[in-house]
Amino acid sequence: MSRINIVFLIAFVGLLVWVFLFGQETVQRVQRGAMTFFKPFVAGAQKVEDAITEFGKEKPSVTDVQAQLDQARRERDQLRLEVLRMDELAEENNALRESLNYVKNSPLQLVPARVIGRKPSTWYNTLIIDKGHDSNIAADSPVIVPIGENAGLIGKISEVQGRDSSVVVLLSDETCQVSARIQGSAEQGILSGQRGALRVMPDLKLKYLSKDAVVEAGREVISSGAGDLFPPNLLLGKIKDFKPDAITGEATVEPIVNFDVLKHVFVILPDTLESPDTSESVTRATPTSSP
Amino acid sequence: MIYFLLVTVTLAISFVAQEFLPVLEWAYYARMLLVPAAFYCGAVTVPYPVMLILATATGFVWDARYHVPVVPPNADHPELPFGFTIFLFGLMGSLIQGVRPLFRRGRWELPVLMIGICTLASLMIEYLVISFHRGGLFLSPEMWFKMLMTSLFSMLAAPFLLLLFSRLARWSGYRIRLEGITRKYSYGDSV
Repeated sequence: MSRINIVFLIAFVGLLVWVFLFGQETVQRVQRGAMTFFKPFVAGAQKVEDAITEFGKEKPSVTDVQAQLDQARRERDQLRLEVLRMDELAEENNALRESLNYVKNSPLQLVPARVIGRKPSTWYNTLIIDKGHDSNIAADSPVIVPIGENAGLIGKISEVQGRDSSVVVLLSDETCQVSARIQGSAEQGILSGQRGALRVMPDLKLKYLSKDAVVEAGREVISSGAGDLFPPNLLLGKIKDFKPDAITGEATVEPIVNFDVLKHVFVILPDTLESPDTSESVTRATPTSSP
Repeated sequence: MIYFLLVTVTLAISFVAQEFLPVLEWAYYARMLLVPAAFYCGAVTVPYPVMLILATATGFVWDARYHVPVVPPNADHPELPFGFTIFLFGLMGSLIQGVRPLFRRGRWELPVLMIGICTLASLMIEYLVISFHRGGLFLSPEMWFKMLMTSLFSMLAAPFLLLLFSRLARWSGYRIRLEGITRKYSYGDSV
């Protein structure tokens, strides 16, 4: 190896060590700067991705279109299209009203946010949302979506990247761990994603249950509120199966939310989590539908 | 010098292009890692010191954009520290420099294969570090498929990137040739 190569190698190692020693604040400052530059491209890329996804969807055949046209003509004659449209609007209206009711009635301070980027990382299940420091969002703030009159937890803020962007680590990631209990029973455990679970709807694992627990499939899993990070009674998923081992039991849980179709979410501001009334706020009704 | 600047500009453009590359659901969310592929292709065409400079700059910007400081429960530091990509690019760039003489002789097969191997190796190292922090090694078939598909996508992009770099070299008058090697093998003359 020539002398110049050795000199550069030593300088490289020195630089590397210097970067490794960066404090959290420095890293955040660097990433904030990078996000400011890349944000227009991130938002643009999401639009392109949506357009491509839409383009790739199967188109109906000519025969199907003809059949649909005939059907539409018949329905037009009977004014059924208008009725269907009205029903559709009413349904959408109800769904939006439910979300609005949840937000209005909740004593939690909720910040609505839009998903502007999906799966930016290779190894972590994350989203990027369009709210950051300007909305008083902080790391570890829970992120939820209204489900009927209740709320489903989708993850927590991993990093506030700038004035108007944050990274959400999803519940399907192994590092997002929630203290959870099975509704209607005293069984409590820790719910988290699984490493290497890369399916569209990855199952979650509810660990540290007692080995003799009676756990029925279909039971809802909700947050217990222990640890003060997540409010209690947020919907997490439904039990799929239960396997006891020598010491503890472990249940497989199907998430209540499809993380791939999320477009709008709510971030719970950390100040409101300290309120003693929080536990009441999200315990209102057992949801009957999932998004 | 002009060529090195052109490589840097190409890497900067690849960062923007990377944003527009979608993840593929059917491949367990694998995607083409264009920036690492462009870096490895660039690394095979430049001298060792320049490769190290490129590794530092590219790794730094990559981590500034894509590093997720996920701190596991009961830990103080993120599993993958900020700057880890610089280390990976430096390491893989050093490996890929080993096939540089072949590339200078006009052989592209092994460099292209090496780019795929380096992509796979860097993903594997990242995953092993994560597993080390969390305890226990778990490799699902989906995980293998994702890593292999990501590497394959990089390999598919590699010939086009190498072609681009050889064109840039010719345009800027840079000779991708080994010191001491005969002129007939240099791209500056033969391509």
